[in-house]
Amino acid sequence: MVNTPMLNTVPVTVLTGYLGAGKTTLLNRILTYEHGKKVAVIVNEFGEVGIDNQLVIDADEEIFEMNNGCICCTVRGDLIRIIGNLMRRRDKFDHLVIETTGLADPAPVIQTFFVDDEMQEQLNLDAVVTVVDAKHIHDHWDADEAQEQIAFADVILLNKTDLVSEAELEDLEARIRSMNIMAKVYRTQNAAIEMQQILGVNAFDLNRALEVDPKFLEEDAHEHDETVGSIALVEAGAIDGEKLNAWLSELLQTQGPNIFRMKGILNLDGEEERFVFQGVHMLFDGSPDRPWKPEEERKNELVFIGRDLDAMQLAEAFRSCLV
Amino acid sequence: MSRLNQPPLEQERRGQLQEYGTALAWTPEGNELAIASAAGEIVLIPLDGGPQQVLQEADGQSIDVLAISHDGQFLAAGGQAGTLLIWRLGESPELISRLDNSRTWLEHLAWHPQRNELAMGLGSYVQVWDAEAAEVVTTLMFESSSVLDLAWHPEGTQLAAGGHQGIKVWNCQDWDDDPQLYEIPAASICLAWSNNGEYLASGNMDRTLVVWAQGNPYPWRMQGFPAKVRQLAWSEFWLGEAPLLASSSREGIVVWHKQQQDDAGWNPQLLELHNARVSAIAFQPQTQLLASASEDGSVCLWQNAEEVVQLLDGAAAGFSALAWNPSGTALAALGEAGDWLIWKQGRGKRGFLNDIFRN
Repeated sequence: MVNTPMLNTVPVTVLTGYLGAGKTTLLNRILTYEHGKKVAVIVNEFGEVGIDNQLVIDADEEIFEMNNGCICCTVRGDLIRIIGNLMRRRDKFDHLVIETTGLADPAPVIQTFFVDDEMQEQLNLDAVVTVVDAKHIHDHWDADEAQEQIAFADVILLNKTDLVSEAELEDLEARIRSMNIMAKVYRTQNAAIEMQQILGVNAFDLNRALEVDPKFLEEDAHEHDETVGSIALVEAGAIDGEKLNAWLSELLQTQGPNIFRMKGILNLDGEEERFVFQGVHMLFDGSPDRPWKPEEERKNELVFIGRDLDAMQLAEAFRSCLV
Repeated sequence: MSRLNQPPLEQERRGQLQEYGTALAWTPEGNELAIASAAGEIVLIPLDGGPQQVLQEADGQSIDVLAISHDGQFLAAGGQAGTLLIWRLGESPELISRLDNSRTWLEHLAWHPQRNELAMGLGSYVQVWDAEAAEVVTTLMFESSSVLDLAWHPEGTQLAAGGHQGIKVWNCQDWDDDPQLYEIPAASICLAWSNNGEYLASGNMDRTLVVWAQGNPYPWRMQGFPAKVRQLAWSEFWLGEAPLLASSSREGIVVWHKQQQDDAGWNPQLLELHNARVSAIAFQPQTQLLASASEDGSVCLWQNAEEVVQLLDGAAAGFSALAWNPSGTALAALGEAGDWLIWKQGRGKRGFLNDIFRN
């Protein structure tokens, strides 16, 4: 089990966003807010951050390719090393924030939690929080990193809303939602947000229900022609576990690099419990969850967030896994 | 020699550091132990029960590594602050060097086996410092990542540094020469030369162990580990084809026995007893007795690296480090809650008890 928060594990918030979006402002809010948590911070852009905290550690952003036959599986070697040291002083902090540079791909950070045994045992990934500069995001739309930071997010702060019009905001929010339907989007000024919206979110907890906005499923066409987008599949009926396994294996082998995140709740044929799973690129984690309730409709829900995904093909392949 | 019937270990001294015990090092005579913690304190403990000497008080910055020079003259320490500290040991130890390196943690220090030269990992560089002349001997670029481990060849002719994509080995006669590259498709997180200098082993992030024999570019590759390979130890003494190699991954230890034919590789033997991560393994000098320390709060002694002959405890929160003194007559361990313990071989004529298994 990778991400079910266990007793004695330290929750981790991954903070992403372009330079100037308001990450540091948010970080300082987290550090100074009276939430009673002692927060350790790992930053990449040391010196740019005016943070007064004893446990601010400077990281080098070292990307290690993993040799597991997976072309997009990379982890952050610096995090494994630094967190290993940091955990020796775990009585000094009870929450960890990892800040990534504006130009960093968030995937290696998240994948590190799936791959490294020590991090799995000692930490639980709470949420990926992305701060978006409502005024300047347009300058970065074409950058892969900007799109991926939105695609990987569990919580998005649409910041600096005072600098743009309501119409622009609505347009931007729609655009963001089409890219990532799983994320909660909050509009903020000066990164002002309730702490419970960004800390203790448990977004990577497999036992937390998948929340697909029903409105999203009703929308037929999205105005924005993004390469990055979300696809939600909902099917009644029971799934043949073997067929599903074969399909997902093949899918991740061939399209892993383009699938950023996926989540699902499945009704496996012959099983009384819901099967819940999630993935980041080709890394996959799944387990039985609570039993289906008698009054509950047994259905299958899957969400994919990725680049150049073929909705029709995914839906068809998924349907072919039904019993 | 193989001390087949050694007396068991008995607790000699114990004490308490403020936080997680991070590092320990014995003097070459084996009569004094240096220990350090995550709170930053550094303490010298005489084996004979004499008073402890505090070299550095806790300052909240972790000390992560300690190393004592081959002649016992110098003690080097480094950690979170990035400062290299060197004391000249003696009646009253004296701090003789204090070198600041900003924005880097000092996690790896290694003294040359015959000279008072200290190799240290500084981010993605390796620097060699001459403690007597107080000057830099050379600065080497590892490049592909931070240096994740460092070790001199036992003869002092080469220096190896491991990290992402493998191990680089520099020739000490000519530092400017390109290093020899021992490539692996992952990150090497721990490396160890066998005491005869014949083999170089690398424990890796991708759950493999790779061993090179001197002069042979084609290594043996062992796989099937449950997680990354975190610890390695070679036996000084051996009866078969080659020294024994012990490796640990999560709570398991595998001891590798080389087969007669190179093609037949190394035979694994799994040592199962610990039920939490193994934090340190070390062979007793001159024997095949293996000691393993675990986060489950036990130190286990394995006769011939295969059979449990003694279990030690004393760190309820788990053990974090372990080291034999050079003569193998004393064993020291540190705990995650700052406990430190030293056991010595008793004077009894009795061998290790074999009836210690508790159901």
